[in-house]
Amino acid sequence: MSVVDSPLVADGVTLAYDRLVVARDLHLAVAPGSFTVIIGPNGCGKSTLLRALARTLAPREGRVLLDGEPIHKMRSKDVAKRLALLPQGPIAPESITVGDLVARGRYPHQGILRQWSAADARAVDEALRATEVDDLRDRFVSDLSGGQRQRVWLAMALAQETDLLLLDEPTTFLDIAHQVEVMDLCARLHAEGRTLVAVLHDLNQAARYATHLVAMRDGRIVAQGRPEDVVTEPLVQEVFGLASRVVPDPETGTPMVVPLRRSVQDDVVR
Amino acid sequence: MSTVVEPRNAGPRTVRVASGPDDDRGVVLVWRRRPFVVCVVALVVALVAALVTVSVGELGIPLPELPAVVAGNGTKIQHWVLYTTRLPRLLVGAGAGAALAVSGAMFQSVTRNPLGSPDVIGLGAGAAAGAAAAGLVWPGVVPVPVGAVLGASVATAAVWFGSGSGFSRPQRLVVVGIAVGAMALAFVQLALARASREDAMVIAQWLNGSLAARTWADVRLVVAALVVLLPLALLLTRPLQVVEMGDEAATAVGVRTDRTRTRAVLVAVLLTAAAVSVCGPVAFVALTAPQIARRLTRSSGPGMVAAACTGAAVLVVADLVAQHLVPGQQLPVGVVTAGLGGVYLVFLLVREFRRSAA
Repeated sequence: MSVVDSPLVADGVTLAYDRLVVARDLHLAVAPGSFTVIIGPNGCGKSTLLRALARTLAPREGRVLLDGEPIHKMRSKDVAKRLALLPQGPIAPESITVGDLVARGRYPHQGILRQWSAADARAVDEALRATEVDDLRDRFVSDLSGGQRQRVWLAMALAQETDLLLLDEPTTFLDIAHQVEVMDLCARLHAEGRTLVAVLHDLNQAARYATHLVAMRDGRIVAQGRPEDVVTEPLVQEVFGLASRVVPDPETGTPMVVPLRRSVQDDVVR
Repeated sequence: MSTVVEPRNAGPRTVRVASGPDDDRGVVLVWRRRPFVVCVVALVVALVAALVTVSVGELGIPLPELPAVVAGNGTKIQHWVLYTTRLPRLLVGAGAGAALAVSGAMFQSVTRNPLGSPDVIGLGAGAAAGAAAAGLVWPGVVPVPVGAVLGASVATAAVWFGSGSGFSRPQRLVVVGIAVGAMALAFVQLALARASREDAMVIAQWLNGSLAARTWADVRLVVAALVVLLPLALLLTRPLQVVEMGDEAATAVGVRTDRTRTRAVLVAVLLTAAAVSVCGPVAFVALTAPQIARRLTRSSGPGMVAAACTGAAVLVVADLVAQHLVPGQQLPVGVVTAGLGGVYLVFLLVREFRRSAA
């Protein structure tokens, strides 16, 4: 895949918080129409890279290109019409309803004198339907369960009506049923033609849903490609420092990581 | 130009006023019914309090005679009471209340914290220190209102730098702000100690926050500030609403968070300075009025107009109370608002500590 076709490119970015450099000279071209998932151990820089791609963090060096344009030089609203982000830990304002929160995703399409339009109403309706929260429309966000809340935030991002959707650990803090629910929803959004880039904690989840995997360690991209090519026993050892067997997922056939039993006899003897 | 009132299809609980034939073109503003009702109620309360203020007391103008006085047919004394004392006082009260409340709404929104209001984080104290510096320590260098603006700006800058990362860390900001406020008040004490007895009396009166003996010059100042700054505050309402959801979420939908914060702080500092320079640092209006407005409107964001109306009502009512609470003696209005606001502040602090302990 060439960099030219890619809707979102990190071009030699060095990423840092204040003086702490997290990653140096990263190159990544997101394949159009892909469901790209970035994996790696805690502190490897995966969320930082996603933040740079979403322009919520300015790279120290290098640049991020959105459809070939430097993203940090574009008007922020123009970016928001093409790229949406589900951040970690967004704050729901006190006493806001689901409908009102999702409507805030329309911000980039509105102006001081154009605060609402039929297109806005349509986009909000559609986003609520796509995430199956339309029956919660008049409920307060604070009264929802974690899984419902995550779907509502996703609906807000969908209401932006962008082709690109970035997700920063969308399943963290959810129980397993809600995790699967959110991931199935993401898979459906991908199948409908959007390009998704997500950071995920769970390697098996990543391998199951991604079309492209990017493995990071210590601020470097160690491997990238199709899940079946990336998720191998040596790579899991290299990236996560975990001895494992990789077997086909009985349900989907995608690679599944099973950690090796750590000499149980030693534990018993002790 | 047509006006369409259409409750359907415009988001929950909104009424849309649209102009232009096509739904997707022309000017469309979103109105919500509840904030509108709250504004009307607040203005009615302010108006009733104003009428009572005009009619009671030794020189009060009985309400049946008021139309005649307004028409110019009252006695000379009545004319003087209305136009030289009571009306300017009422207008300054309403204007300063509105300015403080809008400033408070903006600061609370920027800091994502009801405690992040200008009177808590040292802005009012900073403005007072600036005014004291201009009036007592170095008189004649700059006019007192300019001193108040400078003092408020210095206090804001101190809080900005003192809390590290600008205004993006609300908890730290409240602590630093309280410290800055204490330092500013210490400076005011110093200025008072050095001043002559007469000057000190004047400035002490002013420091309590008082609406006594206001003039039309004060009215002009606060009205001018509102005319310029209120529209700017309104322009910032929508981006501020989004910034309340966190910097990442706000950036994601296309808001420049730092720029929005800087502009909001600038407008809020000027509003506070304008109010403080006409009535002194009246305590806790900026803290309470926007919160009352927000609770009443059940709004999910800062509502500048509702805050302004509530602030005007709060200060006009508080001044009425201040004038008649102790018979034969006028209290500074700041004493009344401090009494009311202090209770509310304790309530907020307790809630905040419970929350952070949980």
